[in-house]
Amino acid sequence: MSTLKLLVTIAFRNLRASFVNLLIGGIIFFGSLLVLVGGSILNSMDVAMSKSIIGSVAGHIQVYSSRSKDDLAIYGAMGGEADVEALQDFSQVRKVLEKVPNVKQVVPMGINGALIAGGNTIDLTLADLREKVNRRRSGDQSPELEKQIQSLKGHLQEIVKQLKKDRENAAAISVRVLEADVTQAMDRAATDAFWQEFDQHPLDDLELLENKIAPLSTDADLLYLRYVGTNLDDFQRTFDRMEIVDGTAVPPGHRGFLFAKQWYEAALKVKVARRLDEMKEKIDVNHQTFARSDELRQNAKDNQTQTREILYQLDGLKKAAMVADLQKGLGATESDPDKLLRMLLDTNDQNFQDRYKLFYDAVASRLQLYRVRIGDTLTIQAFTRSGYVQSVNVKVYGTYQFKGLEKAALAGDLNLMDLMSFRDLYGYLSPERMEEIKKMKAQTGAQMIDRDKAEAELFGGGDADGAGGRRVVAQATPGVIDESQELGGGAGELRRKDLTSRVYSREEVEGGVVLNAAVLLKDPSKINQTIKEIEARAKEDGVPLKAVSWQQAAGFLGQLVLFMKVVLYLAVTILFVVVLVIINNAMMMATMQRVREIGTMRAIGAQRSMVLWMVLIETVVLALVFGVAAVLVGSGIVGLLHRVGIPAVSPYLYLFFSGPRLYPDLGVGVIVAATVVVSLVSAISTLYPALTATRVSPVTAMQQDE
Amino acid sequence: MSSIVSIVNVVKEYQLGKVTVPALRGVSLEVGVGEFIAVAGPSGSGKTTLLNLIGCVDTATSGVVQVAGNDTSKLSESELTDLRLHVIGFIFQSFNLVSVLSVFQNVEFPLLLQRRHTAAERRQRVMELLEQVGLHTHAAHRPNELSGGQRQRVAVARALVTRPKLVLADEPTANLDSQTGATIIDLMKELNRKEGTTFIFSTHDAKVMSHANAVVKLADGVIQGREKLEPGAAA
Repeated sequence: MSTLKLLVTIAFRNLRASFVNLLIGGIIFFGSLLVLVGGSILNSMDVAMSKSIIGSVAGHIQVYSSRSKDDLAIYGAMGGEADVEALQDFSQVRKVLEKVPNVKQVVPMGINGALIAGGNTIDLTLADLREKVNRRRSGDQSPELEKQIQSLKGHLQEIVKQLKKDRENAAAISVRVLEADVTQAMDRAATDAFWQEFDQHPLDDLELLENKIAPLSTDADLLYLRYVGTNLDDFQRTFDRMEIVDGTAVPPGHRGFLFAKQWYEAALKVKVARRLDEMKEKIDVNHQTFARSDELRQNAKDNQTQTREILYQLDGLKKAAMVADLQKGLGATESDPDKLLRMLLDTNDQNFQDRYKLFYDAVASRLQLYRVRIGDTLTIQAFTRSGYVQSVNVKVYGTYQFKGLEKAALAGDLNLMDLMSFRDLYGYLSPERMEEIKKMKAQTGAQMIDRDKAEAELFGGGDADGAGGRRVVAQATPGVIDESQELGGGAGELRRKDLTSRVYSREEVEGGVVLNAAVLLKDPSKINQTIKEIEARAKEDGVPLKAVSWQQAAGFLGQLVLFMKVVLYLAVTILFVVVLVIINNAMMMATMQRVREIGTMRAIGAQRSMVLWMVLIETVVLALVFGVAAVLVGSGIVGLLHRVGIPAVSPYLYLFFSGPRLYPDLGVGVIVAATVVVSLVSAISTLYPALTATRVSPVTAMQQDE
Repeated sequence: MSSIVSIVNVVKEYQLGKVTVPALRGVSLEVGVGEFIAVAGPSGSGKTTLLNLIGCVDTATSGVVQVAGNDTSKLSESELTDLRLHVIGFIFQSFNLVSVLSVFQNVEFPLLLQRRHTAAERRQRVMELLEQVGLHTHAAHRPNELSGGQRQRVAVARALVTRPKLVLADEPTANLDSQTGATIIDLMKELNRKEGTTFIFSTHDAKVMSHANAVVKLADGVIQGREKLEPGAAA
C-alpha cells in the first residue's frame, strides 16, 4: 500500500519534472476532448436524425415485400427509387402485424417519385385569359373584365415578343431549326394585327397560342417530386407531430394531396421570393452579414438578374400598380418596372429588412407566389413499373410539416397523397378505374379514339371542377379538349363524381396494393427482437414480408449518418494510433533519460515488477490528470454549445441538425468512452517502454557520467 | 574472523563487438566481517567490475563469488535482487538519489522495498540515520537543494538504513572536493565502527586509501597485493 503511495508520489512529481510529459498530456487532452465533443455532437445528431426519421415517416420498423429486388429506401436510394415489390393486399399484412404484441400502430404506405410541371407563365396567363374570354362569352360585359382582358392580351404579346427574341438569339448559336409552322405562328402572334383581331375569334387564337407557342416557353421546369401514398387518416394519427400549415387536412376517406411545406417553399415558390426568405434566415438566424458573406452578396446579385420571372407574371395593370408602390417605397422617380425591381433587390446590410418587407407588400402581393396553389388540382405523372406513363389528378388540400422538424430536409421533402391515387399512379387499377376503362371501350371502341385525346382522357383527363380549382397540367400540354364533346355520359361523369368527392371506406383503402408500411412499437427498445417476431409470424401466415429497422429503411441517408460516424471514429482511431506512437516514443525517451535512476532502484533492491508498475502508474496518472481536465473542459464546451447551438451553415446540415441549429447534449456514455479509450491507449502505449525499463540493468547505476 | 565476501579465481570478460575484453583475470579475495577495505588502482584496472560482482549486480564469467554465504552464480535474478535489498547497501560516485523524492523519501525507499516495517518504524529508523549523517533538519528537502557532500551523506544514510551486512561504495569521494570527501570517509568509518558494518570502497585517491584497514591493489584485472594499514595511520 505504502509502496503504491510512493509510486503515485513519484508519478505525480515526475509529471511536473519533464517537458515531454506535458507534451504527452497535451495530446491526451486533445484526443479526449475530440472524443468527448465530437462524440457528443455526433450522438446528438444521431438522436436528432432518429427523431426526424422515426417521427416523420419511418416509424420504428418498416415492412415490405421480401421478394423485392432492392432494399427499401424511404428517402430515396442513390440512383433513384428503390425497386420494391408490391404487397398485393395490405389487410393481410395488417393481420400479421397485429399478432405481434409489441406492435402499436401500422401505417400503410407507397413511396414513389413523379414528375410535375408547375405550369409555365404563358400557360397560366393563357388559362387566365381563356377563363375571362369564356366569362365574356357567357354574357359578362362589365368594363372591368374588358380592361383585364385587354391587359392580359398586352401581357401575352409581350411574352411572345420576348420568346421570339430568345428564339432568334438561340438560332444564332444552334443548328436546331424550328418547324416552319411554329415560326410562322410566332411571327404572327408577335404582330399588333394578331391581337387587334383576337377578340373576333378568341378561342381559335388561344388554341394557336397554347399549341404552338406555349410549348416553346422554357420557364416551366419539370419538377421531381417524392410522395408517400398512405392512409392519410392513420398517418396523421400515428405521426402526431404532423401539422397542417396552409389549407386543410384531406377529409377522411377522400383522395387528396398535401405538399410538404418545405418542399413547397423550395420548389414551387417564385425564385426571388424564395431566395429573399433564405437570405432573411441567414441574416436573422445565422447572423450572417453582407459584409462578410460572399453567399449573401451573390444572392443579391442573382435576385437582380431574375426579375423576369416576376415581370412575366404581371400584366399592364398590375405592373403599373407595382411601379407606383415601388416608387413610393424606394423614393425613386424611375418608371421602368425592371429597373425598379433591380433597385429593390439591390440589398445590403442596411436596407435588407425594409426591402424584404417592401418586396412582399408591393411585389409579392401581386404575384402568384407559388406555381401550384392550395385548392388547385395537380396532375402528377409517373412511370409505372411496366414502363408506361400514368397520370392522376389530385386536389391539393394544403401543406404540412412536422413540429420541431420544420427545417429538416429529411422530413420536409416527402409530400403526402392518398393511397388510392398512389395505386392509380403505381399502375395498379382500382376497381372503378377498370370499370371506367371498360365503359369507355364499350362506348367508343378502342381503335376509334384519337391517340392524343385518348391519352388525355386516360391519363390526364377529368376536369376536377367539382373542387372549384384550376388545373395545372403536367408536361406537354396535350391539346385543347372540350370535355363536354368528348365522351358523353358514362365514363367522364363517373370520374367527375368519383375522383375528388368520393369517400372511400376503410376496407377499400386497406384492401389493396401498398409498397411498405410503417410500424410503431409500444417498446421501441425491442426493435431487433420485434423484427424477428414479425418475420416469423409472416412466414407462418405465408405473407412474403421483410422487416427492417428505421435506420436501414432510411436507405442511403441512414447510411450517411453511419458513414459520418465511421469517418469520425476513423479519425479518432487514427489520432489515437498517432497518440499511441507518440506516447510510446516519448515514454521511451523518458525511460532512457531515467536509466540511471531505474538502475539505482534495481541495485538498491527493487524487483523488475516494481519498475514496471512505476512506469505504468506514471502514464495512468498522466492520462487521468489530462483526461479529467479534457472531460471538464469538454463538458464546458458541450454545455456552451447546448446553450448557444451550432448553426447549420448550409441547408444540407438541417437534415442532420433537425433544424437550423444543433443543441448537443453531453452523454454519460461519451464521458465513459473518452476516459476508457484514453486510459487504454496510454496503458498500451506505455507497455513497451515499461518493459524496456524493467530490462535496465542495475549495473547502469554504477556507470559514471561521460 | 569469518568472511562475508569470498572470491575465488574469478574471471570477468566483456564482449565489445567481436573483441573479448578481459576486466578481471583470475581474482581471489576474502573480506572479513567488519573490515573497512579500499580497492585501489588506476582507472580501467577492474575496480568497478570487482565491486559489481560483489554487489550482485553482475555475474562472473567464471570462478566463484560468495556473498554472505550465497554462491551468486546459483541465484536467480530475483533472488540476487533480494540479496542486494537485504544484505548489501550501495553508495555511488554520483550519489544517484531519486531527484523527485525528498531526502526522507530517498532514505525510506529501501525500507519500503523490504515491506517488513510499519510506517512508524520506518520513520524512526530514517530519522535515526539522518541524525547520524547530520541531515535530520533537511528531511523535507529535495536532493537538488543540497550540496554534493550533503547528497552523498543522504546516500550513505540510504545505504545503511536497512542495516546491511555489507556496504559497497564505488569511488564515493570522486565527485567531492577533498575536504568533503574526507568527512564522508570519516562518516563511513564511524558507522563501520559503531554498527560493525563491513565497507568495501574503491578509490584511486591515496589520501582516501589511507583511512582503510586494508588496501587491495588492482592493476590490469589482477590483484597486485593486499596491504594492511595501521588504523589512523593517515590522520
